[in-house]
Amino acid sequence: MPNASDTRPARRSAGGRASATLPDGAGALPAPVPPPARRPGGRVVRLAALVVGVVLVLAFPSMAPNAYILSAGIVVASYACTATAWNFMGGFTGYVSLGHAAFFGLGAYATGLLVRDLGLPSFVAWLVAGVIVLLVTIPVGIAALRVRGASFVIVSIAFVLILLLVFQAWGSFTGGSDGLVVPRPFPDLLRPEHHRVFFYLFAALLAVMLLAWWAIDRSRFGTGLKAVREDEDKAQALGVPTRNYKLVAYVVSATFTGLTGGMYALWFGDLDPIFQFSIMLGAYMVLMALLGGVRHLFGPLLGAVIVGTGLEYFKLEFGDTQFHLVATALLLGLVVLFMPDGIIPAGIALLKRFGPQDSSIREISAAELLERNRAAAGGPAAPGTGEDAAPRPRTGPDATPDDTEPSEDDR
Amino acid sequence: MTTTNAPPATRNLETVGLTKSFGGVHAVRDATVTFQHGKINALIGPNGSGKTTFFNCVTGMIKPDSGSVTFRGEDITRRAPHKIAQAGIGRSFQLCRIFPRMTVLENMLVAVRRTRVRDLLAGARNPEEIDKARALLVRVGIDHLENAEARNLSYGQQKLLELAGVLMGDPDTIMLDEPAGGVNPALIGRIGTLVQELNAEGRTFLVVEHNMDMVMSLSHHVIVFDRGRPIAEGSPAVVQSDPRVLEAYLGV
Repeated sequence: MPNASDTRPARRSAGGRASATLPDGAGALPAPVPPPARRPGGRVVRLAALVVGVVLVLAFPSMAPNAYILSAGIVVASYACTATAWNFMGGFTGYVSLGHAAFFGLGAYATGLLVRDLGLPSFVAWLVAGVIVLLVTIPVGIAALRVRGASFVIVSIAFVLILLLVFQAWGSFTGGSDGLVVPRPFPDLLRPEHHRVFFYLFAALLAVMLLAWWAIDRSRFGTGLKAVREDEDKAQALGVPTRNYKLVAYVVSATFTGLTGGMYALWFGDLDPIFQFSIMLGAYMVLMALLGGVRHLFGPLLGAVIVGTGLEYFKLEFGDTQFHLVATALLLGLVVLFMPDGIIPAGIALLKRFGPQDSSIREISAAELLERNRAAAGGPAAPGTGEDAAPRPRTGPDATPDDTEPSEDDR
Repeated sequence: MTTTNAPPATRNLETVGLTKSFGGVHAVRDATVTFQHGKINALIGPNGSGKTTFFNCVTGMIKPDSGSVTFRGEDITRRAPHKIAQAGIGRSFQLCRIFPRMTVLENMLVAVRRTRVRDLLAGARNPEEIDKARALLVRVGIDHLENAEARNLSYGQQKLLELAGVLMGDPDTIMLDEPAGGVNPALIGRIGTLVQELNAEGRTFLVVEHNMDMVMSLSHHVIVFDRGRPIAEGSPAVVQSDPRVLEAYLGV
């Protein structure tokens, strides 16, 4: 099978050098065809889905039947923030950090302590806490990113465990296991109003993160990060300063996680090291992002909605047991087994299977291509019909084997 | 041959006393090598003679124990690989390495020559870069696959993609680790022609290769490695008749 494809460039070079029309005719035509066919419809659908999503989020506090559902919604929103923040590192670079709860806890405690001990206004404290997390992450990142793969996972866990012990033991400063009470930012608001405000605050934070993720995704920086995920050494050999790229992604990821933690502190008002610096929280972030799909902007958000809702439900139903952990573990197992790339890619693949008009590169047949070439020639081929007729039969059969080629290697 | 077009031989890339050991294995020992500027240099030698380790020391992937690497008069020893790449040395890998889950076009947009913040935040799909990428894909003959995921390409196509991706960084010196390894004869011919064309444009090549036909027909200057150090160098004809080479490598 490789023979057909390997000889082809050589074959083309023989004729391609002589006549410039051949590469254009054979090359430019088949490749760009599938995306334009998919895009116009896809863009409308995507835009519509986005509008529906935004409306649902904005309407949620009004639709929530009671304060409990609203507070559960805030928990899910905070999960969505942490999972999206995690994805700046995990999704782009492929470095799986199980210890992102460290930054969540750090942001939460920094915000709480700045309000309690320095009397800073709540949201000033929140921003300063974000800066503190950013500064702490730089040396931590430099150390942690010296290793890759499983070693990085272990180092990331080590950091959260160290912080857990420090914050538990240093009771005089952090309140230890007795907890730290964070003064509420809006003391005059009634509880349901308080929930409503914080739901929107979390949603706004999430929107900022999604925008940042989208901007990085389409930038040259993002291309470099994705290259690190695919093959770090190769990326470096192409001139990508991989270490600095990873560090920036790590710091951005940690800072957003810290800001989420700070927001949580202001909302919840009571911090305990065992919950803030929890391995479970770090594991949830990974699970949510993987479940939704780490390569997709909305993957972690979708994963958080599913896992977060599930967690809240199981806690409500089986509150006095640890059943919610069992259920979460089962979910993780199912995802890894059946949807290793997450729900979004699995869903797209499923849609593709049912959509016959959505022809990918490998589904175009020789006859179709020939037909299309004829149709294309029929329109604009007014002046040089005789000249055009000659290369066309050559182009059709020549180009088709390459279009079908990838499918054979793929499946 | 394109010797007539090639610029006069000057110093391009040279190493002095380069040494690297892994435990008790001396992979590269005191290697002093000068590559000819604007020429196609070939590095040959039996398996395990230290060619790839030497390669990795030059491109910064491995830090040498001692010795120095100079590129255009500048000491680049122990520099990070990306700095060496940005200085103008592009390389391919022995077992072809591409970014499997990115499309062919995305693969082409990875190479970085400058890392100013403004460049980094700019959109990846810069029209100029894309035009350049497409022109290179046309040149190597895989432009019709630009939207295919790179992992779905055949091995030969991946080799061509790797070469095109390296060219995106505009390297003046290109190091190829076994460009003919694992590809069919027709494609070997195609790669050879590409190398000659690129060389005629003024790019220096350094090729590690086992395919003797390719080495002898392509290169201007051959360096023979044995047990971690160069034992002979010269034109293909001279090297072919050198008794030390015959003994160490050609096995005649």
